[in-house]
Amino acid sequence: MIAWRKSQARAAPWFLLPALALLAVFVVWPMLRALAWSFTNADLLAPGQGRGIGLANYSDLLADPRFRRAFANTALFALLVVPVQTAAAFLLALWVNRPEPAWRWLRTAFFAPVVVSMPVLAVLWTMLYQPAQGREMGLVNALLGLVGAPPQAWLRDPSLALPAIAAMSLWQGVGLQMMVFLAGLQGVPRELVEAARIDGAGAWARLRHVILPALRNTLVFVVTVTTLLAFRLFVQPYLMTRGGPGTSTLSLIQSIYETTFVAQDLGRACAAAFLFLLLVGALALVQRRAAREERA
Amino acid sequence: MKRLLSWAASLAAGLLFLAPLLWMLLASLREESRIFQFGDWLGSGGWTATHYADAWRRAELGRALVNSLAQVAAIAGAGLFVNALAAYAFARLEFRGREVLFGAVVILIVLPVEVLAVPMLFTARDLGLTGGHGAAMAGLAVPFVAKAFNIYFLRQHFMALPAELEEAAVLDGAGAWRQFWSVALPAVRPALATVVLLDLLAHWGDFLWPLMIATREETRTVQLSLAALFTQPPVQWGDILACAVLATLPVLVLFRWLQRHLVATEARAGIK
Repeated sequence: MIAWRKSQARAAPWFLLPALALLAVFVVWPMLRALAWSFTNADLLAPGQGRGIGLANYSDLLADPRFRRAFANTALFALLVVPVQTAAAFLLALWVNRPEPAWRWLRTAFFAPVVVSMPVLAVLWTMLYQPAQGREMGLVNALLGLVGAPPQAWLRDPSLALPAIAAMSLWQGVGLQMMVFLAGLQGVPRELVEAARIDGAGAWARLRHVILPALRNTLVFVVTVTTLLAFRLFVQPYLMTRGGPGTSTLSLIQSIYETTFVAQDLGRACAAAFLFLLLVGALALVQRRAAREERA
Repeated sequence: MKRLLSWAASLAAGLLFLAPLLWMLLASLREESRIFQFGDWLGSGGWTATHYADAWRRAELGRALVNSLAQVAAIAGAGLFVNALAAYAFARLEFRGREVLFGAVVILIVLPVEVLAVPMLFTARDLGLTGGHGAAMAGLAVPFVAKAFNIYFLRQHFMALPAELEEAAVLDGAGAWRQFWSVALPAVRPALATVVLLDLLAHWGDFLWPLMIATREETRTVQLSLAALFTQPPVQWGDILACAVLATLPVLVLFRWLQRHLVATEARAGIK
């Protein structure tokens, strides 16, 4: 067995080398480079020739109304999507958590939009949200008409565009979180729920005092992942509205992309990327704290 | 009565989720001028399949589909091997610095790739992954082969394997490689299928990275072709819809196939 130990230690570097080399080259190295560029006035066409300008990029960004708007939009999107999507996913999971095979088709229906890729859905929903022009209109407005509600301009209305994109994103992603909750629900011991029922706990009390506490870690996981995904918002507004009308759906990622390729200000784009990474890091830390409390 | 109500609600909810996708399929078969006129959808006529031929030609979908399939296959295939190797080392081999190194990999899980896309593009360019056709095709896949989450996920599954499996092979004189390749890897097949499935879902819809790296027409992926139809005038809704359907079919087929594989391996594991 000792010989085996030694051969293990010798083999380990070869097992690790491909993955760690690729991660170092394509993730860690770009990140360090972005950090270095974020303190310079590096230009897209000549990144190596930037001069150090300290924290100027960061202070400029924090004062830049366009960047602040992009941040506010992305945060608002997350605020709209995360609570509703988490709650909806949980309710759907409770609903379809039954063994009969007939419920499988409902699970499949809720999960179907997850399989279809986001650019396809962005294009599709642009058509569904089509404003009314004479007899022509998108499906959403046609359905509103059936219940007697007036048609809306949706993506062309500055105050409705972001909520419309949030609703579409919710429809797309809720099936995945539902699956995560389903897996969690299947881990709740049946005897526990049965015992609570025998003790006279109603459906609500069982949910509140038995099922939810058992699902705490799942819940923390779903909220974290949904938040991280929400902050990565890009494809939907980029294709559906180009960030408009005005800047009403401009996302953080799109603003970084435009700072790089339109303004060609690489240093500032890298500073924006780093502010973003700090935010993501903070969110991840909060999640770890929340998950750890439960174990204690 | 209560049961009937629950059935009706289920049916309505299921339809609500499927309606946009059904509309996509049906509208792709409507004549251009009648797509948004719901009044005569129920009437006879107005159906056509010409959008499919037009979209195929205009978006050069044949080539785009091949590019997308090649990208996903390269990421999932090479990724499976590379990530499983590292995961196995973290789970089953003993070496100094293991925990520290694994901790560093775990931190990378939350890094959003989109945010680093710009500096990644420079790295890809420095490595010659942007120039010609072959280089750009490699550039679509190589940066996403190693994935921190997949390493983490596979490590969990390797760790769950019983120690006896290994001991028997050690007594047979198997080295670390044979342990990995002929004992551990086959034992975690459902987890491997899951990883391939996640890669498929994540990268079939890739948009920002191909937008930056696949700048030549012949390296376009399906999503870029769709976006080109969608943004470049004249806008033909029927063609866009047909292109959207054709961009969705491969991922549906692959998803079903992988899912069946996942269930089949689980079932087989149950028999043992």
